[in-house]
Amino acid sequence: MRATAFDAIGVPWHIGVGGASTPTASRGEALTNDDRAAVLARIDQFDRDWSRFRDDSLVSRISREPGSWRLPADADTLLALYEQLHALTDARLSPLVGASLERLGYDAAYRLTPVGDPLPAPRWTDAIALRREPGGLMLDTVAPVLLDVGAAGKGYLVDLVGDLLAARGVTETLVDASGDLRVRGGRSIRVALENPADPTKAVGVADLHNAALCGSAPNRRTWGEGLHHIIDAVTGRPVADGVIATWVIAESALVADGLATAVFLVDPARLSGKFAFEWVRLSIDGRLEASAGFQGELFA
Amino acid sequence: MMTGSARTRAARIAAPIGATAALLGTLTGCSTATADAEVPVDASYRDGTFQANGTYESPNGSENIIVALTLENDVVTDVQITTNPNNPTTANYQGQFADGIGELVIGEDIDTLNVTVVAGSSLTSNGFRAALTAIKADAVES
Repeated sequence: MRATAFDAIGVPWHIGVGGASTPTASRGEALTNDDRAAVLARIDQFDRDWSRFRDDSLVSRISREPGSWRLPADADTLLALYEQLHALTDARLSPLVGASLERLGYDAAYRLTPVGDPLPAPRWTDAIALRREPGGLMLDTVAPVLLDVGAAGKGYLVDLVGDLLAARGVTETLVDASGDLRVRGGRSIRVALENPADPTKAVGVADLHNAALCGSAPNRRTWGEGLHHIIDAVTGRPVADGVIATWVIAESALVADGLATAVFLVDPARLSGKFAFEWVRLSIDGRLEASAGFQGELFA
Repeated sequence: MMTGSARTRAARIAAPIGATAALLGTLTGCSTATADAEVPVDASYRDGTFQANGTYESPNGSENIIVALTLENDVVTDVQITTNPNNPTTANYQGQFADGIGELVIGEDIDTLNVTVVAGSSLTSNGFRAALTAIKADAVES
C-alpha cells in the first residue's frame, strides 16, 4: 500500500507509516481512514487560524482591526521561535512581513504585481505585544497588523501532524509537506536536495533519522525578477545576497523551517549557539557549502 | 549589458514550461508567438538560433531580458542571455540571474539515486520562462 497523499495549504503532502524495515525508496504505508481524517482536520484548523490567504482566518481578523486577541494553543511555541529568530537576525526575520509581501504582490488574490515601493515591516515592539495568561497566549495590537508565519509555519504544522499521529498510537511516520519533512521511529531516510535550477538533479543527499529537514529557495515562489517570498523585514525587500537555496536539519521541523529562512539573512554561525542544527547552502555562483556535522553526500 | 552563456539539454529546460502559464499574465513577448503557447514536450524543432524578448514588471518599472537559444537536432547547444536593465537594482538581480544559468548545472540525476523523498522544487524566473516559451513556439516544426 502506498503512502497517504493529499493537497493542503497549497502544496502536496505525503504521509507514510513504517519502521526500520521500510525500504529506502518507500515513504511507507498509508494511514487508516480515521487517522487521515484526523490529520486533515488538524491541518484545516491550523489554516483557519494562521492563513493570511483566507478571509475568515484569525490572522485576517487581526489584520482588520486592533484589539486583544486570544491565540490558539499552538501559538506559544510558534511565536516563541519567531521571538528568538527576530532577536538573532537583528529584526530581519519577523512575523510582521505580511504587509511587505502584499506590497510586493504576494497577496491573498495572488495579484503578483507590486503596488509601490517596498514596505519595511513594522517594528515588533511598536506593533504587537504578547501576554501569557492562564487561559493562553494573548496578542495585543494598537493598529491592524498582518501576521505572516510563512517562515516557520509549514514546518511547525509538519510537527503538529506528527504529534497528532503519535498521540493516536502511530509513532513511526514520515510526514512530508513538499520538502519540509520529519521522520520519526526506527527508520532512516535519504532526502535528495534538489538543484533549484534543474529539478532532475540533486546537489546532495541528506541521511535523516528521527529528525526534520526543511528547505527554502526563493525561486520556489518567484513572481517576477527579484520578487520572491523571503523578505528582509527591515527593508521590506526580498533578500538578494546570492544564496539561492538552503536546507536545514534539526530535531523539529519548526526549528528547521525557521532556520532555513534565517540562514538567508544571517551567517549560520550566528545561530549555532542557540540551536542544534546542520545546514547546506547553495549560492548563485554554484558554490555548495555545508556544516561540519552534515550527514550525507554533496555532489559539488 | 550583461551576457551569460550555458550549455544544457533541451529536455531539461523544456520540462517546467507547461506548468507556468498561470504566472505569465503580466508578461509579453516580442516574438510572433504568444508567451503561453502550448508546445508538446516531445516536439521536434528546426535547427538554428532563436531569440525572444521577455518583458516583466519590476518595482522599478518595465524591464526586459533577451534569451537566444541555439538548437541542433532538438538539443539546446547554446544559451545566450542578454539583460538590459533600466536601473541599478535590476542590474544586480539580472546579473545574478544571467550569471546563474550556466553555472548551476551541477549535481547528479535524481533518478539514479536511491532516495526516499526530494526536498525542493523548481520554478525558473518569469522573464526567462516567457522568452523560452515564445522560442519554443517559434521553433517548433509544423
